[in-house]
This record gives sequence, structure tokens and C-alpha cells, in this order.
Amino acid sequence: MAALTPYTYIQCPCSDFSTLGRPSDPNPPTGTEAEVDDDGDDDRTFDPRAPRANYSLYPLEYLLYCEDCHQIRCPRCIAEEIVTYYCPNCLFEVPSSNLKSEGNRCTRSCFQCPVCIGPLAVTSVETKPDPSLLAAPDNAAAPHAGPYALTCSYCAWSSAEVGIQFEKQNGIHAQLAKLRNGGATRLTAKERKERRKDPSYRSQHTTEGPGAPHETEDLDLETQFANLKAFHQGQLVDPNSADTGLTALGDLGFSSPTSLSRIMSIYTGGSLQDKKAKSRVGAMREALDANEGFQVARLDESAAIEALRSEGHDGTASAAQLADQPPNLGEGHLHGRGRFTPGLRPIPYLLRTKRSKRCPVCRHIISKPEAKVQATRFRIRLVAGSYIPSIAIRPLALGSGSGSGGGGTSASGPAVPGALLEPLRPAHYLLTFKNPIFETIKVTLGAPAKTPGRLASKVTVLCPDFEIDANTDVWDEALNQGGAGGGGGAGGAGGGGGGERERRRRRGEDGAAGGGGGGGGSQSNINHQNQLEVGKIWERGRNWVSIVVEVVPASLRLEPGDAPLTEDEDILEIPMFVRVEWEGEAGGDEVGSVATRDREAREKRELAYWCVLGLGRIRP
Amino acid sequence: MSSRRPPRGEYIETDTGNKVARKATLVGTQNIMLGGKTVIQPEVMIRGDLIRTIQASSQSASGAAPNNTAVSIGRYCFLSRGCCLRPPGRLYNGAFTFMPLRMGDHVFVGPGSVVQAASVGSHVHIGAKVSIGELAIIKEYVRILDGTVVPPNMVIPSFSIVAGQPARLIGEVPEGGHEAFELRDLYKTAGNNPQPMPI
Repeated sequence: MAALTPYTYIQCPCSDFSTLGRPSDPNPPTGTEAEVDDDGDDDRTFDPRAPRANYSLYPLEYLLYCEDCHQIRCPRCIAEEIVTYYCPNCLFEVPSSNLKSEGNRCTRSCFQCPVCIGPLAVTSVETKPDPSLLAAPDNAAAPHAGPYALTCSYCAWSSAEVGIQFEKQNGIHAQLAKLRNGGATRLTAKERKERRKDPSYRSQHTTEGPGAPHETEDLDLETQFANLKAFHQGQLVDPNSADTGLTALGDLGFSSPTSLSRIMSIYTGGSLQDKKAKSRVGAMREALDANEGFQVARLDESAAIEALRSEGHDGTASAAQLADQPPNLGEGHLHGRGRFTPGLRPIPYLLRTKRSKRCPVCRHIISKPEAKVQATRFRIRLVAGSYIPSIAIRPLALGSGSGSGGGGTSASGPAVPGALLEPLRPAHYLLTFKNPIFETIKVTLGAPAKTPGRLASKVTVLCPDFEIDANTDVWDEALNQGGAGGGGGAGGAGGGGGGERERRRRRGEDGAAGGGGGGGGSQSNINHQNQLEVGKIWERGRNWVSIVVEVVPASLRLEPGDAPLTEDEDILEIPMFVRVEWEGEAGGDEVGSVATRDREAREKRELAYWCVLGLGRIRP
Repeated sequence: MSSRRPPRGEYIETDTGNKVARKATLVGTQNIMLGGKTVIQPEVMIRGDLIRTIQASSQSASGAAPNNTAVSIGRYCFLSRGCCLRPPGRLYNGAFTFMPLRMGDHVFVGPGSVVQAASVGSHVHIGAKVSIGELAIIKEYVRILDGTVVPPNMVIPSFSIVAGQPARLIGEVPEGGHEAFELRDLYKTAGNNPQPMPI
């Protein structure tokens, strides 16, 4: 079983029931179920195993923070806006106007292998290197002559395998659009459009007459759609189309003009909206031949079966490969199309985006990258990590030899990170809270005595109420570190002393402060230090505090008849409610009033949220 | 790699703060540029001997001294035990030549990984047992998970998380995850007198 590194997930308030805009019902339903639900709003323990919890828990890095709402925002609740489209391969920006005309794929020579999705490179088909060239690099200017093919350097797939070769080295996208697998040409979208308009072409095909619809050629998807659209448009206009086939179905049938115009208006933006159609009840004729967009499904799959027989399973394309294939409007009908690898085509790279993010409530932008593709800076980046304390989890080995040595003679918890937790045996974990803001914060923790769920482990937070000193800026930090490294005697102005004193135990501060002041500091003090005490901080530093959590993991032994353990049910997860209070500068939001008022005015702020501490797996 | 301090530790610490393990194999050291504060752990191999044999036409025309740098590494890079940096090779006008491997700042290369990229941007995390194919280009703030095989010539844009064989995009680096790429603290934990990781 994979070792589990302890983790902390934070719940975004957007999924909280109490903040979900529930309509205030003056007379609540009397059903017992609803009552329980309502009562639970305030003092309900968050259950990390609830199916809903999956969607609301995020690591701290994924969370943003809205400075105006003073609230955490998660990737699910923010609104995104696309800043730039670019190709992930050539890193060229694609203007959004091109996007409308040419689609969401790179139209340069950026292609992915249809077999393994590795990048494809244009190579000359005669790849066999001339030995004379290697010997004499002077005449290396000998130009590669076509034809060219796209080859994958990972799986050695080549577009020559499917019969696609190019005459020129550049403009691969345009060349590929004109080529079918096997090398036959095909019409581009523009040519197809012209051909549809060309009356001579149309008439040539209509001479065959509607009497022989099965003889008609295969239409590509785009042409078929255009034909169908033209046909139905004609039907809508034609007042005589009401030949009352299935009037019993009223306006609901497929052949009814109103449902057609309704559906078409969904897809085409109302261009087919026919006001008159509403007043008309009736049915339309169905399309009858290719000119009207009628295509006979080819249900004869003997060719596919034959190919399967000769090629075997290896010759078929996987579902993932087929899903990666770009939709191709120039291709024929979907019936019986490419389920074999020779039918796969190079995949033009899907474009990627840079996106800015907005708060869903106040619409302020909380993250905005620079628009240029190559730039990695952000104009605005309000991440939760710089507003709320981070929580790091570390197993705590108590007993002889503190610090790095860790004899581990005591039976208290796994000293090795990722080790399994022994059931029914108390284990201790160190939670380190680090304060990112420049104010002293007061943290109050709340955790249920027993974890929710079937396997209830006992949880005791030894010090649920503490203060963390303010963060200082980077320069103070650097100076302090320099002092600590140099002599340890940096009892200067900085932040109450150098490294040694910062690392002192709270306990040492109470009693034997002199003992800790010496050489090894906390590391060498082995005597009374490792006693756990309720209500005491384990260790504190400049802007961090460590506290101890004691857990007694539940036994995984199940009664006969119990449902078997579900996936990851053996992970010990503690829901914890974190409440942070601090005094901030007043009125960050109303700038005008602040300028006039006293700068000293302080404002009490608080932020509260649920988080989940994943400590480790319990030994079965 | 110029000054050698009297006590022989496991690492050679240079004036610019590089910490190079004595058990690292650096071939062609005159062609390897270290930006400073870079940690090279034991059993790392850097192939500085694979220099470019054909100079770019513009350079050879101007007659300037050929630039022989084979591997250039920025500041605060961390090359874990057993990884290998090898300049990529390719055909250039019909003849084979190596191309320089450029690496930005704050690049972590995990144990047992082989890097043959053309360029690796700043703030890149390459996991353990990763293979980066020849002439791949890795931009800034990219995380490559353990065991990934990046195919040759692949371009990985900024803020990508890639994994798999061959590498495919599996996610984006979140806004709050940028600081995790900083390697200043990790730098202090290596060398002849390693410091504990600050909290």
C-alpha cells in the first residue's frame, strides 16, 4: 500500500450549506429529515467522507482569497475569463478572431501523434542519411527533398503509414486539410462551400433524380447539414407542407415545424425562427435524397469484420485514440468510419488558455496573468496562502533522544513519515501553523472528539487556542537567519533574538529558560521537555506555532456482517474547524474614508473554515 | 570549483556557493557553467564533453571565438543523486552535432532522472526517474511527476503538470503553488554542514 504523506485540505465556503442561498422559508417543513438538516447547520460536524466533501476540499495552493469579501474562493466557485489563447507547442498567441474562423486548434505545423499523442515532427521521407554527408559536413547544405511526412519521435509512427505525405515542408495544416488518409485529395471547407453553391454541380447530381436515392454519393457532414438545413428551411416556408401525417402528436414530433424551428434556433442562434410557424400545426415531409440531406446508413459492416480478421485487435484504434481525433466536418458519415489505426490522422494541438479569475460574489478580479504567452508574471494574484495560516503535519516521536536521532523506543506514534498507524494505540502528530500576514493572529481550533464515519478514531487537540506572532518581511528574516548562523547571540532589535531563542519551547520559557539558552537549545534539552501538557504549545517560532494532536486510531476489525471497507476508509482524517482572528487596518475596501480617518483605527477581523487533516493509514 | 577549503567534506563548496559532491561525475568541466548556489549530489553525471561541433552559421561567419558551453545551469538548482544531464544531439544541415543544454534558476532534478532537454526554464520541478527526451523545451513553472517520459522535441508550456509515458498534460499549477518551486531552503539542507529545513 502506498505510503500516505499527511495532507491538509481546506473547505471552500461556497459549498457550505449555511451560506448556500437557501430561500428563507417562513414556515419550515415539519418533516423530521428536514428538521435535522436545519438544526445541524450551526454545530454540524463536517464529514470529510461525505460524497459532497469531495467537491469542496482543496489543498491550500488551489485556493484564492477575495480581499473585498474577506473570504476563501476555490476553483469551483470562481468565474474564469480567458485572457489569451495560445498553442502549447509553438507558443504562438492565437487572436480570438482566428478562433472563430479556424477553430480551437493550432493551424501551424503543430501536430500530435494519433497513436501516442507525442509531438510530430516534419521529416523528409527519405530519412536514410547519406553516409557521405556525415563524413563531409562541408557540403551539408544539400537540401532535403520532399516528400515529407509527420513522424513521431516517441513511438516512430509516421504519417506515411496511413498514406499521408506532403510536398512542402511548411504549411502542413493546409496541406493536411486537402489530403485523405491514403493520399487521395479531398476538398477543403471553402471548396466544399463553393461546390455546394455551384449550380452545375448541383444540377448534375439532380439529373440522377430522386428516383434512385441509394445511388447518391456520400456527402460529407458539412454538406449534409447544409442540404438538410436548406431542405427544412424550404419546408418551413412552404405553406403546403401541412400534409397532416401525425397530427396526433401535435407539435412535439420530429416532423413538426415548430419543434424543428425550436431546435434549429438553439443551434443556429435563431436564424430559422419562423414566426408564422407557431400558428401552424402540421407535419413536414422528410428528406428523401442526398440533395435534401438524406443519407442511407451503411449498415453493412462486412468490410470492418474482414479488416478485423486480417489486422487483428492490434489494428484497431483504442477509444482514447478515437476520442483524441479532432472532429472533422470534411469527412463522410459517421457510420462505419475509422475504427482502425490506418484511419487515424495527425491531431493538431488543442489551444491552451491563460485565464483570469473573478470573485463570484463581488466580481473583483482575484487572479490575472500577464497576457503575453511567454510571461509568467501575474498582475493580480490573491492566493489564500498569503492570508490564512498554513498547516503542516508531522508525526511526533516522543521518548528518548529528541530531534533528528529519534531512537523511537517509545510506542508513541510513527516516527517515520508515512508509516502505518497502529490501531487503538495513541499516536501524536505535530501541527505547525504558519502565519502569513503581518498581524498577530489568534487561532481557535475545534475538532470532534471522535472522527465521523464508521470507524471513529479518538482525537484530542492538546492546545486548541493559541496566538501566532506576526509575519515579518523578508529582510528581517534574512537578518535573523544571518545572526543565528553567525554566533547565535543576536539578541538585537530584530524580533526578540536569534534562532536559538526563537526555537525555545514554551515550557522552557516558563521554567528553565536558562537551560535552553545554552548551546544546543531545544535539541539538547532532553529532560522534562518531552512531556505532553494540555493547553501548552509544543514549540513556537517567529511566525509559527506547533501544537500536538493526539489520536487513537480506530480498529479496522469489522464485525461479521458489516460492509467491507471502502476505498481509503482506512485513512485517518480529522475534520477541524479553524477560526482565525486578527486586528487589521480598518476599511480596506472603502479607500476614501480611510484617507480621512485616523490611520490607527483597527478593525477586528475573523475568518473561519473547515479543514481536513489526513494523518495516515491505519494498519489493518 | 576554484577554491578548495582545507577540511575535506563530502562536498566542494565554491566561492559562488555551489556545492558539488566529490562523488559526482562531471565530464568536461570547462564546458559546464554553474550560476551559483547549485547543489550537485553524489553520483550525478554532467556530460560537458558533448560540445557543439558545428557552430551556428552566424557565429562562424563573424569569426568570434566558438562558444563551447555544453551545459549551463542557473542559480539554486538542485541535482539529486544519480541524475544525468546530457546535451541533446541532432542533425544540423545533414551532420550530427550536440546542442547546448540550458537550465534556468530553481530547477530541481529528481534522483535517477535523465535530462536531454534543449532548455529547461526557471522554477521547474523534475521528479524522480524522469526521462526528458532530446531537444525538449520546458518552460517556467512546470512540474514533471515521477516516472514521466517526455518525448523528444516536446514543448511543455508554463504552469503545466505533466505525467505519463509519453508525457501528457494532466493539470495546471495553481496560482498558490508558485512558491513551492523555490529551492533556497533546500539549498541550505545540503552541503558539508547541512541545516535543517526551516519551518
